[in-house]
Amino acid sequence: MSNYKKIIWQYPWRYAESFIIAIALLILGFAINYIGKNTVSSIQWPVNLYLGIAIIILLLLIYFLFKKKPFVKWLSSIPAAISAICFYTFLVLLMGFIPQGSPKASGLVHEIGLSDIVSSHAFLFAQIYFLVILGLVTLRRSFPLKGNNTGFFLNHFGLWLTLFAASIGAGDLQRVTITVSKTNAVYYGVNQKGETIHDLGVAIQLKEFNIEEYSPKAFIIDNKSGDILSKQIFYLEKGNKGEIMDWEVEVDDFFEYGVCMGEKFHPVYDIGAAPAAYVITKNIKTNEINEGWISCGSFRFQGNFLKLSDRMLLVMAEPEPKKYSSKVKIYTTSGDDFETTIEVNKPVTVNGWKIYQLDYNHAMGKWSDISILELVKDPWIPVVYFGIFMLIAGALYMFWIGNKKKID
Amino acid sequence: MYILNFNNTAFITIALWIIGLLFILVDKKLKNARLIGNLFSIIGTLVIIGFLIFLWIEIERPPLRTLGETRLWYAMFLPIVGILTFIRWQYKWFLFYSLGLAILFLTINIINPENFDKTLMPALQSPWFVPHVIVYILSYALLGVSSVVSAWGLYLIKFKTFKPELLNKADNLVYMGFSLLTLGLLFGALWAKEAWGHYWTWDPKETWALLTWLCYLLYIHFRYKNKQKIITALWILALAFIVLLICWIGINYLAVSGYSVHTYSS
Ligand code: HEM
Repeated sequence: MSNYKKIIWQYPWRYAESFIIAIALLILGFAINYIGKNTVSSIQWPVNLYLGIAIIILLLLIYFLFKKKPFVKWLSSIPAAISAICFYTFLVLLMGFIPQGSPKASGLVHEIGLSDIVSSHAFLFAQIYFLVILGLVTLRRSFPLKGNNTGFFLNHFGLWLTLFAASIGAGDLQRVTITVSKTNAVYYGVNQKGETIHDLGVAIQLKEFNIEEYSPKAFIIDNKSGDILSKQIFYLEKGNKGEIMDWEVEVDDFFEYGVCMGEKFHPVYDIGAAPAAYVITKNIKTNEINEGWISCGSFRFQGNFLKLSDRMLLVMAEPEPKKYSSKVKIYTTSGDDFETTIEVNKPVTVNGWKIYQLDYNHAMGKWSDISILELVKDPWIPVVYFGIFMLIAGALYMFWIGNKKKID
Repeated sequence: MYILNFNNTAFITIALWIIGLLFILVDKKLKNARLIGNLFSIIGTLVIIGFLIFLWIEIERPPLRTLGETRLWYAMFLPIVGILTFIRWQYKWFLFYSLGLAILFLTINIINPENFDKTLMPALQSPWFVPHVIVYILSYALLGVSSVVSAWGLYLIKFKTFKPELLNKADNLVYMGFSLLTLGLLFGALWAKEAWGHYWTWDPKETWALLTWLCYLLYIHFRYKNKQKIITALWILALAFIVLLICWIGINYLAVSGYSVHTYSS
């Protein structure tokens, strides 16, 4: 490095100053939490919009009026950027080790905000510091905008926009869980704070709940402990043959909906009917043959297993869901009602809400009489997505160009 | 049903790669050895690609769910990156590293046989699944190789034979790996929005993925203005890879990961 030693706080500021400022902000954040202000409450529409516009104007003013000042130059320099990235990384690192949002949290860790970092003051300061620096470097490199700055602009502005919109918009995100049933339309739900929300503007009635399942699997378990002993995956489907541990297993018959009457299972489509398989097993070593019905049972009927030896039982596991969906009728305040199907990964949009399939009554499985849906409203999503698409373009650009520029 | 025998395929592939590496080792003594070595390595890789395609068809879903399946993809992309880079830059050690790691991954899969399970929970059945994971695995392969460059660099520095060009090669790998990492993170966010209603929930895997991303971001920016501080750069690169490993493998063992959609079932 250079052989003269720069006096600290003398411009141009470099790493020492940058890190002192970042650490000071970190400690300040912890202190504010410690003194008593526990969480940063998120701002809501329209305050966040005004604040957002104010911040953007402020950044533009700072840049255009003071861009020659050493302080502003420092704010868009690499040392400042590195300190901001480290500051942010440090908090995320803590988040990676300290369980977040645990209701039992207490002690110093909790008091300085580390049990819920995302809503701590330290995180707020990290975010602001990060965004100011990122914003100013974007401005510095964007005026005048040159062609070879395209990648730079896409990455830095894209990231700035994504983070900025996501943070100021966080308070407007609404997530409401509603439990629908066939009996009548439900017009209220519960939000993430546990409050009941009535003015949703939609009402939903369940018409039909559907689960498509994979074929159930067979396992060998320990008679006493109930532990699963077999590692092989064996699907119970009619005609399937295979080996599980020391047994050759063949599925002689299989009903997706079976009910046991007397000794035998019969194909019956009734509430609570469970899959049933007639299996024949042969021990490879002793040639002993066993056969019988196995079933995983349901909330209504008992399961059935096949005894292979004193210690081992052949059992059917409950089938895992492949798909589940709700056919619902939706009523809106504007008067149009319609029927639609909501499936995992395929939300439906109504009146500014996106409706997601969330859950069902697991005890009843495919006979569930309710369906749990989630209504999500996130008005800032178009802005966030705009940022994300810029970032994607920036990443593709970066992949293509690599760091060639600097090698030459 | 059992045409698809993983062990046989893995043995064939490993044999082909080892033969390839042996030819490359005796490069100077034998005419065309390099060409033959490359051919064997490529054929071995094609066998693995073929196996993955058949497996995909057989289990009726992309084989991208369990740790064992992830290792298979890794065992495919590492050689691809390694062979291409070898053909371009002629680094022998580089090819040995990438094929060696791929052999290691296949061996782990032979020792821990894992059944290729058909079931895939509904939230994972999405068109985002394949791009999300493939981009990550490619990125991990590139960044993994860059970390070896850093270890190699730290070793060379000890013996004062380090040349700065080596780090420039690492830079390029990091730029490529980092941009794929960015894509992986973003695809994950877009997918999460479709599946769960929000694009970022600070799930432990997300947190660690962000950390990995931030470490490489730090490296890129540090390198941009501090070309002469080689040792610091090498250490950042090495540490970033440790964070990456925690994110990829260690997450299952951390206290924070109670329930996570990302913990691999086995
Ligand atoms: C998507 C994330 C990011 C990517 C891909 C990225 C990439 C880059 C690259 C490749 C450069 C080298 C300049 C060039 O090639 O023209 C650079 C420079 C820079 N970046 Fe980033 N960066 C990102 C995020 C950030 C963040 C979060 C900050 C600040 C908090 C930042 C601050 C800077 C600064 C100050 C420079 C130096 C610009 C100059 O002096 O001209 N970057 N960035």
